[in-house]
Amino acid sequence: MQKTKVVLMAAVCLGAALGCAFPLPLVAQTDHDNNVLVIEGGRILPITSPPIEHGVLVIKGGKIVAFGEQGKVEIPAGATVKDVTGKIVMPGIVDSHSHIGIDPNPTVSDSQDGNEMSGPIQPALRALDAIDPADPNIRMATSGGITTANIMPGSGNVMGGQTAYVKLRGTTIEQMLIPGTIGGMKMANGSNPKNYGSRGQAPMTRMEEAALARGIYGKAQDYKARWDAYNKAVAAGDKTAKAPDRDLGLDAVVQILDGKRIVHNHTHRADDVMTVVRLADEFHYRVVVHHGTESCEVADELAKRHIGVTFTMIDAPGGKPETINFSISCPARLEKAGVKVAFNTDDPITNSRLLLRSAALGVRGGMSEDAAMKGLTIYPAEMLDLQGRVGSLEPGKDADFIVLSGAPLSVYTKVLETWIEGEKVFDRSNPIDLRYATGGFNVISRYPQLQGGGQ
Amino acid sequence: MKQSLSLPLVAMALAVGLPAHAQNFAVSADHLYTMDAGLQGGPGLVLIRDGKIEDVQMGEGIATPNGYQAIHGAYVTPGLIDAYTSTGVSGAYNIPADQDQDESTDPNTADVNVRDSLNPEDKLYQYVNAYGVTTMQVTPGPKNPIAGVAGIFKTAGPNSPFRTVDQLVVRLNSAMVFNLGDTPKETYGSNHKAPVTRMKTAEMIREALLQARQYQEKWDKWKEEKSDPAKQPGLDMKLAALAGVVSGKTPAIFNVYRADDIDTAIRIGTEFHLKYMLASVTEGYLIRDKIRQAGVPCLVGAVMQPFNDLQTSNATYENAALLQQAGIPIAIMTGYVGYVPKSRVLLFETAIAAANGLGVDPALRAITISAAKILGIDDKTGSLAKGKDADIVVFDGDPFEYTSHVEQVLVQGAVTYQKGQ
Repeated sequence: MQKTKVVLMAAVCLGAALGCAFPLPLVAQTDHDNNVLVIEGGRILPITSPPIEHGVLVIKGGKIVAFGEQGKVEIPAGATVKDVTGKIVMPGIVDSHSHIGIDPNPTVSDSQDGNEMSGPIQPALRALDAIDPADPNIRMATSGGITTANIMPGSGNVMGGQTAYVKLRGTTIEQMLIPGTIGGMKMANGSNPKNYGSRGQAPMTRMEEAALARGIYGKAQDYKARWDAYNKAVAAGDKTAKAPDRDLGLDAVVQILDGKRIVHNHTHRADDVMTVVRLADEFHYRVVVHHGTESCEVADELAKRHIGVTFTMIDAPGGKPETINFSISCPARLEKAGVKVAFNTDDPITNSRLLLRSAALGVRGGMSEDAAMKGLTIYPAEMLDLQGRVGSLEPGKDADFIVLSGAPLSVYTKVLETWIEGEKVFDRSNPIDLRYATGGFNVISRYPQLQGGGQ
Repeated sequence: MKQSLSLPLVAMALAVGLPAHAQNFAVSADHLYTMDAGLQGGPGLVLIRDGKIEDVQMGEGIATPNGYQAIHGAYVTPGLIDAYTSTGVSGAYNIPADQDQDESTDPNTADVNVRDSLNPEDKLYQYVNAYGVTTMQVTPGPKNPIAGVAGIFKTAGPNSPFRTVDQLVVRLNSAMVFNLGDTPKETYGSNHKAPVTRMKTAEMIREALLQARQYQEKWDKWKEEKSDPAKQPGLDMKLAALAGVVSGKTPAIFNVYRADDIDTAIRIGTEFHLKYMLASVTEGYLIRDKIRQAGVPCLVGAVMQPFNDLQTSNATYENAALLQQAGIPIAIMTGYVGYVPKSRVLLFETAIAAANGLGVDPALRAITISAAKILGIDDKTGSLAKGKDADIVVFDGDPFEYTSHVEQVLVQGAVTYQKGQ
């Protein structure tokens, strides 16, 4: 892998009223910033523009600088040209709901850090403090074509913590985090947070879940008002003004109220989806419906508010009562109502190697192929505020793309290569990488005969 | 209930409204997979009369005879067979009220029978039928070292909207299930009860089989000595059930994941001369030579299983292919699932195996004729051959392709699922 120099800023100011938040890598520079890579000859699916049968993609400094039909795009002298004739090239897949790195492989209790079950409201928690970049699930995700992920705390809490928007590369979380992003906020309602009830703790009911959520937003409104008053006084030259006490959790909730942090709300039943909508209406924040098993029942309510759904495609109804009405036709019904639908893995609930499959099952359930492909790319990018960087192949965007052996939504198609910002992170022709695509990577060193694969 | 287009609701509604008796059908296909002898995938016609396959004709443009209702499909296959599943005993809601797969009060429950837990009205039982499963071996769950008795059932019955177990039986007492590995010792060990270790799990099974052998010998001896009622040995339901296993009458199924647990199963199977097979077999590919030498069929389990514990962390999509290519008879199974999705879809699992080295024909074989042969029901189902049950799946495209649809499912000549109705 290309050596990456990461420039760490001491702090990035995220809100004038709040002072500075956590450090973030601001710029990731690679040694070959001036090298030009050309991907040529394949069928290019830019997603936000029509497919190009024999396309060219020009990459420089980790960004797409040009694309178009073969022969109509100037190939810079000295460029490294990669011929992908007969293959399909599409943007790297954006997984808007994942637990890779935070609930690593293998699943043993010592390593599971998704749910801080010591209290139902945890806005100060940051997923980034618990993500293991060495988790094999991350390499498995790249073998499925995922390049960007929203890694989230679990759904055990009403407010589970801050999510992390990452690229699936690097050996530290700082290298993974997408520069300039602060992540979203994980929330959940319905049956999972009610687990506190079995210990005689709140929440025991859906009523209390909503009350706890309203409580923290009310508190944040008050906190914000105190900071606003303080900042106003300081601006007016009041030297005696006393700064309110800093609260790490409320800082993050104020970012929600300010529209800078999107709420990612786990929810299944239609009435729970409407509770999500009701809270977002009341406190005027941006929200994405996650899972949304019965969201199609209230699709019109979501459509008129422009609330998107990131859908988890499971293979059968049930497993818990609130998913008993699961149907693969739900994404199709949402699409018809005008709701933007993304597909997510909820890894480990579905495996990150199979996110293309989830979209394909959406088509099986009646969705258009166009909407299904957007549901893997530009729609989830929008749900993470990352549509300016990822989710389509356009000049100026990150050079995150995958090379496929055939039609994206076919069971027989293989992800051949996965590239992030102009660097290859997965190559199916590499025997080790192949084991991440098929499984069995834990034992490959003991069984060299497996290195060639079973095909 | 809310209005929903979900498949299981459609299946349920349809099943209730079905005609009480099977009709005569002529099922034509662009690609007919009989899974019988001969070339697969060419055009052909299957005639169905009185719930049985009356005739199979390969070739193009064969006219539908009078008196038969025509069905046409792009792809037609035999009804699919799930060789090992807890669907039907482990319900969709996943609450104590509908979980009847694990009697985890005693590590030896050889005397329990899935027949007494099976709920054919469970949503998932009908859901899997809508994805082409017409026959399945329903098994107890993964918790007990000696878990109980499995049975083979149809997923729907032609005779009545009331699907009682008796109407669905293909074969009762099809196998005795033994669980090795992490789950039994986690189930009991956390309460400081045996088994706490793999050693103990193996010892408990060996001890029970030994006692069953002695029990059988006692009864045999008593019968030889003219069955004097005064000397009749005491009846023990567990030992009686296990006696069938040691005598080879009831096959044993060892549900195993790690390679060393597979090895343990082979060791026990060899020691007691059992007629046995392996289920799940997650790390089977790592010791496939040994499995082949032992001549044990494998029910290869849930291809897309999550890495939810250490014993499944080496799962690979290529397992079925590697075992099959080593010359081991394989079927594909969905097994028990503890959470979401509560039942796995056999067609979906097999599709991943097909696309990862197994190939379409061997994959179809693994969920039709091979599964039927391994389970010993190939005289009734598993291929489209004259005289067998008319269990048929009609697809609008490649059966394994993600975007294809199951259009119709027939069980014993009755349409049990119809897409879009």
